[in-house]
Amino acid sequence: MAIGKSKFRIDAPGKVTGETLYPADIDRENFIHAKVVFSNKPHARMKRMDLSAAEAVTGVLGIFTAADVPVNEYGLTMFDQPVMVGVNATGRSKVPSDVSRWEGDQVAVVVAETPEAAQAAAEKIQIEWEDLPLVHDVWDGLKDDVLVHPEAGTNAFKHYVIRKGAMDDGWAAADVIIEGRYEVPHQEHAYLQPEAAISYVDEMGRITIEIGGQWTHEDQEQVAHALDMPAEDIRIIYPAIGGAFGGREDMSLQIVMALASWKLYQKGETRPIRSQWSREESIIGHHKRHRAVVTTRWGATKDGKITAVEADVYLDAGAYNYTSNKVLGNFHLCVAGPYEIPNARIDSYAIYTTTVPGGAFRGFGAPQGAFAAESQMNKLADALGIDPLELRLMNCLHDESIAITQTPMPAGVSIRQVVEDCASASQWHQPLADAEPFQAFQSLAADKSNIRRGRGIACAYKNVGFSFGFPERCEAKIELYGSVEIERAVLYHSAAEVGQGTHTALRQMTAEALAIDYDKIEMVLSDTAFTGDSGSVSASRMTFMAGNAIKGAAERALEAWQNEDRPAVGQIRFTPRSTDMIDDVTGKGDANISYGYVAEVVELSVDIETGHIHIERVVCADDVGHAINPNLVVGQIEGAIVQAYGYAVTENLRVVDGRILNPRLSTYLIPGIKDIPLQVDSVLVEVPDPQGPWGARGMAEMPFIPLAPAIAAALHDATDVWFDKIPLTPENVIRTLRDNEKTS
Amino acid sequence: MKVSMTVNGKGVERDVEPRMLLVHFLREELDMTGTKIGCDTSQCGACTVHLDGKALKSCTMLAVQADGADITTIEGLANGDLHVMQESFWENHGLQCGYCTPGMIMSTTALVQDNPNMSEGEIRHQLEGNLCRCTGYHNIVKAVQQASEKMGGGD
Ligand code: FES
Ligand code: FES
Repeated sequence: MAIGKSKFRIDAPGKVTGETLYPADIDRENFIHAKVVFSNKPHARMKRMDLSAAEAVTGVLGIFTAADVPVNEYGLTMFDQPVMVGVNATGRSKVPSDVSRWEGDQVAVVVAETPEAAQAAAEKIQIEWEDLPLVHDVWDGLKDDVLVHPEAGTNAFKHYVIRKGAMDDGWAAADVIIEGRYEVPHQEHAYLQPEAAISYVDEMGRITIEIGGQWTHEDQEQVAHALDMPAEDIRIIYPAIGGAFGGREDMSLQIVMALASWKLYQKGETRPIRSQWSREESIIGHHKRHRAVVTTRWGATKDGKITAVEADVYLDAGAYNYTSNKVLGNFHLCVAGPYEIPNARIDSYAIYTTTVPGGAFRGFGAPQGAFAAESQMNKLADALGIDPLELRLMNCLHDESIAITQTPMPAGVSIRQVVEDCASASQWHQPLADAEPFQAFQSLAADKSNIRRGRGIACAYKNVGFSFGFPERCEAKIELYGSVEIERAVLYHSAAEVGQGTHTALRQMTAEALAIDYDKIEMVLSDTAFTGDSGSVSASRMTFMAGNAIKGAAERALEAWQNEDRPAVGQIRFTPRSTDMIDDVTGKGDANISYGYVAEVVELSVDIETGHIHIERVVCADDVGHAINPNLVVGQIEGAIVQAYGYAVTENLRVVDGRILNPRLSTYLIPGIKDIPLQVDSVLVEVPDPQGPWGARGMAEMPFIPLAPAIAAALHDATDVWFDKIPLTPENVIRTLRDNEKTS
Repeated sequence: MKVSMTVNGKGVERDVEPRMLLVHFLREELDMTGTKIGCDTSQCGACTVHLDGKALKSCTMLAVQADGADITTIEGLANGDLHVMQESFWENHGLQCGYCTPGMIMSTTALVQDNPNMSEGEIRHQLEGNLCRCTGYHNIVKAVQQASEKMGGGD
């Protein structure tokens, strides 16, 4: 068996020696350098652009703007964004090109002999702007006084509904009704490797980009669309990638670098171009996890049965859609939690504003939804005097349940099991022992009288795969070499290794599917010139989809081997059963093929004088179906929990008047080693997913999702106060505690 | 300005801009890209190297300030075989994307050399200057603990 074992990562040797090349490390002769220029205008119309002074800077080789982009638009699911904002565009885009809708809109790419010359020229570009009124937030957006995209007719450009059962009956049957309003913030990905890329025209004449992304073929398609070229003329290669978490799903340098290489090549300039962003450029220049507001009401009988859920979701999409319409869909389903809800009314809106776009980030709408849903459950439990664990067991979905989308749940529903396993691993039924008081400040002695201790629980589910009718696909090709015995096998696959360990898992699954030795597997990876479309590394889908694709390709390759083909080749494009977009009027639809399930218990202490939170222990039970590589799975859990801790407690992106005020790691605080929970206990639950390869389920997002509401629940246990807004920075904790003293 | 130093045991001499950072000197002048850049504000530690045996964030120093110094980078840590710390990061899954890893390994090797008997709490305290966005740090602590045992700690 090659799966089920904690094989060491195949990419580790290069990473521990520094040999591995990330995009900024690739050494080619004779680089020239590109600088991307941001608009620096949250909302303004460009009247005039003058490049003459910039072009006169010594060493400048070319400056490219909107006027040079054949089809000046892009977007993963809607073409609502210009590649560059500018004047004299070709007019072949659906979105007007002359308006900057956030400060990170790109206006030019400057190519020069040195980075310094490119920078100097960038500063000499002269632009005349007419400022337009800002749309600060969702409330501003909903007024529709100022339209971010007049062509859309409204800022609230996407609206999903759920109409299930009869709300009057639901409220009439309720003995207790809990109302809540929840606010969740932006989150910056802060992958440690800032964006960087090289571009050139390869020996076959293909415009080639080497960059960190999440889906080679989507990058290829977006570049091809904007450059109005056939996809096969564009080549995307992923070298090593320094983290992604959803943040590399959209375009950063791909299109503009391709454009620059293509334009310069036509002028006889064949040297490769290199560009890299500073941390500040990275934070200003790419999307964030969406901030959002939820208002919601839940009703339940006195013995704990949920009777009705009502929710309104307001998602700040920022200036462009990116993947907001898809994120909103997940949010929409997760805001009702993994529970049987007989009556529901949910309205969810994605709203354009003139702020940084929201987009994909580990959890993809589920963490926001779960914060509201799980907080509501914990409040209901409190009001009913029922243990929050028991309340979940009374209401959770099971294999025969009808989902919130009014369709049967896909088989393999394991929410009950993860909740039970989490409870037993965390000794939920034992009283919580006193902890040592922690020191909020190293120079001040800990004052035990200010420390309160608490414990909280939350659980969650999230779809695996693209969902909502978006076409799934994953290609794999396997070649078998040898004569009598298979001596070696080569897998061709595009899965992006962003750190999650997918290449190690692919190799394990290939060995397993071929029933040959793990060491005989070679791989050709992530280069559109050789590898087929795998879909993205997102939605916790790659192990699930690639495993199925590898099984199919292996089967065919082995058949060819039996037929004496040498090399024997097997190739497939795996597609799971299709999904539906949910109905506009009722919200009915078979939106998802598979879900992941997770539960977490948090034990913490809080200093009620300083507002500091100290997490002693997190227990996470995650149903992974079948752990292909258990240690890699545990690594995903531990990493997700620390990222979620940042989301819930330390990370505080400040956006004022359409501008990010803290685009640095010195002011935007991701968790350091001293912030992390002292102990993380990972419980790998393995309820097979009937459609998953060897029963495996998607898992990498799940452990992120319930942490914030579990922390809020533990804080309530400690202080008797509900915290409905994150991040729980010391100021916010103190403020909430003080406000509560005043009102109570 | 002329600057000369020893990098991974070899003498190097270059004429550089006075404001060039040591990290850029290593990456751009010497093409040694094992040392990474993760921030603009000396927060992340991805650029950590050894200067005369001590861990240093190479983005906090000018190349000319390192004149005459003895520098070791991640490329120079292994002596043929992997260094115990490198092996330990590998075996304990102390890395995911790997971008923080060279800096983590340079910080921790200097640390363990100075103080081979660190408790878990001390390791956490000492690694405050190195950020990792992927692993959640637990496996990094494990890797350091195991390596420090092998490097002669605990006796
Ligand atoms: S590059 Fe981040 S500390 Fe030096
Ligand atoms: S492994 Fe990615 S930042 Fe540490």
